[in-house]
Amino acid sequence: MNIQLLINGISLGSVYALIAVGFALIFNILKFSNFAHGGLMTVTAYIGYVASLFLRNYISSLPLFFATLLIAALGGGFLALILERVAFRRLRNNNSPVIYYFISSITMGILMENFITIFASSNFYSYPPFLPASVIHYGNLSVAIPDLLMLFFSASALSILLFVLYRTKLGLAIRTTSFDVNTARLMGMDPNAVVAATFFVAGILGGLSGVFLGINYTLYPQLGQMIVKGFVASVIGGLGSISGAVIGAVLLGVVEISLIWVVGAGWAPVLIFFIMLIFLLVRPRGISGIIVQEKA
Amino acid sequence: MRKVTLLVLCGVLVIAMTILGGCGSNPSSTTAKQIVIGNLQDLSGPTSVLGNAVTRGVELSIDKINKQGGLNGSQIKLVTLDTKGDVQEAIKAFNRLADQEKAVAIVGPPISNIGIGLASIADAKKVAFVGSFADPRATVTEDGKVHPSMFLVQPSTVQYGEIMASYAVEKLSLKKIAILYDQSNAYAVSLVNPFKKYAQAAGATIVSEEIYSKGDKDFRTQLSKIKDSGADVVFAPNYMQELVITAKQSRQLGLTMPFLGALDYAAPFASLVNDPESASNIYFANNYSDSEPQLAEVRNAYKVKYNEDPINKVYLGYDQMTVIAEAIKLSGAATADKILEGLNKVKDVQGTTGILTISPDNHQPVGLSMVMYKLENGKYIDLGRYIPEKHKKQ
Repeated sequence: MNIQLLINGISLGSVYALIAVGFALIFNILKFSNFAHGGLMTVTAYIGYVASLFLRNYISSLPLFFATLLIAALGGGFLALILERVAFRRLRNNNSPVIYYFISSITMGILMENFITIFASSNFYSYPPFLPASVIHYGNLSVAIPDLLMLFFSASALSILLFVLYRTKLGLAIRTTSFDVNTARLMGMDPNAVVAATFFVAGILGGLSGVFLGINYTLYPQLGQMIVKGFVASVIGGLGSISGAVIGAVLLGVVEISLIWVVGAGWAPVLIFFIMLIFLLVRPRGISGIIVQEKA
Repeated sequence: MRKVTLLVLCGVLVIAMTILGGCGSNPSSTTAKQIVIGNLQDLSGPTSVLGNAVTRGVELSIDKINKQGGLNGSQIKLVTLDTKGDVQEAIKAFNRLADQEKAVAIVGPPISNIGIGLASIADAKKVAFVGSFADPRATVTEDGKVHPSMFLVQPSTVQYGEIMASYAVEKLSLKKIAILYDQSNAYAVSLVNPFKKYAQAAGATIVSEEIYSKGDKDFRTQLSKIKDSGADVVFAPNYMQELVITAKQSRQLGLTMPFLGALDYAAPFASLVNDPESASNIYFANNYSDSEPQLAEVRNAYKVKYNEDPINKVYLGYDQMTVIAEAIKLSGAATADKILEGLNKVKDVQGTTGILTISPDNHQPVGLSMVMYKLENGKYIDLGRYIPEKHKKQ
């Protein structure tokens, strides 16, 4: 039974991980918590849904699944570019304080959520079934296939991301900009392009999360509010740290599941936020983070 | 720059005042011919799917009445305000409907928390608040007196919980019961208590009681405990999205016992689960049967207008408006106090969800049976109307 708990915890953690990484990426560069990411996940979940309805006439099962993911990911990427242009670029050009970014991101998040509410709230929707079997049984243990896929995608998206960040010129530019925008500009980099590229990547991750959330939990306008769990995971793992976000997310998933088992669902969230509070007080840089200031 | 901003702001203010001024003077010139009915629904919050559905149901009913020449020669005008799923917002909106819009009756949301929160305010304003807040505390006070302005148009959670308990224990002979519910949802909590009481009195035992909180998405821990408890049946009176997740995760964990729940298992639940094996072995009680003829007219009108199938809250909204219209006919005048009088006399009105009679003692419908359904391999099977022996004698 306990191994099953661990499996469930890790699978829940992999949902949180995808959210937390997209979130951490923006924090890494602009030093603020991008709550617009939640709204973005909602919108991309619906983009994926509409795409899957349309594509269903031409392809099915796995190809349909990948096509849906691709469209939602690209949709998320471009939506993030628009967001960056509308909500954040002007703030950056004016050297506004970090709190403005924070407020702007919450505003955009609520705006997107409400757009979806207006256009899609007369009914519940869910994705068409992509795969024939949904569970693998091994002895007493069972694993859901969407969970495995999600784990796989979290892991591969993360590996690609780490590769880009540490092995490519673009990654070097992103890391430089995150370290010091002005010096990066003096070195001849275009910070606007670097920030836009970062948003695009975060948007792609948001798109993937959106589709997975939609598959697992059905579609509804408040889907993006799962961002709070991504935020908690980021804080535990160290805001702005990519690998920290993943560690924090998996840890959060396992702890959450175990707490529900031990103290029940009523007390579990209380204890989780308590743990987060302890992290903020005792180790604000999180498990692996380096950034100490600007915990907005 | 600053001057320009100031000028623009002034301009906006002037325009806004003209528009609002125009609005303000409108009703006074037309009230003579119009009956204003308020509608208080969640249009943008977490339960907006339900709120929009009720609103559409109410609109369909009003369309029909207006097409037939209105009530007592007056057309009905609906004013809908948003509660955002929040009790505070609902209070503000209710006051605006009663004081400024001069609504003579207000249709309420299918949300018990809001019904309970607004009961004393509706009483003070003396404006009828008609809804499907099934928690009996919304219509009857703690000391057993009726709230004069609160009316319920579906079985209360006590009646409803007892119907389901009776069906599980007395009809299906399932004696070991596990319960899984959202502890922050007044509707679920108020269903669980009468269910437990009735089931235990009928000889069943509650072997496991598991809870979760609003917004939780992973119930596998609770379901594992239920699996270990050896229960014959799981009672899950929760909202639809959570039931979808529950069904998927139960199948994943290999739970084989039947589930029993409230009308949230009705369509589109099965299509949301999208897996016939997960949407199987589920019993639930619905307000109506899709095959009942009285639904056809509303369903067709809905399909024509919105190009999709209605969910059950549409019918509840429709019936609430039907009951208000009946009260206006019975009392002969469309004023707030006459409607309150009329609502107490509503008897044997054919609604979409059954024959509606409102008890003047508790403002809840009398002897409304429920239609039991079974979900088997993603298909809904109609098991007919069911009412416990105990309810019949009353």
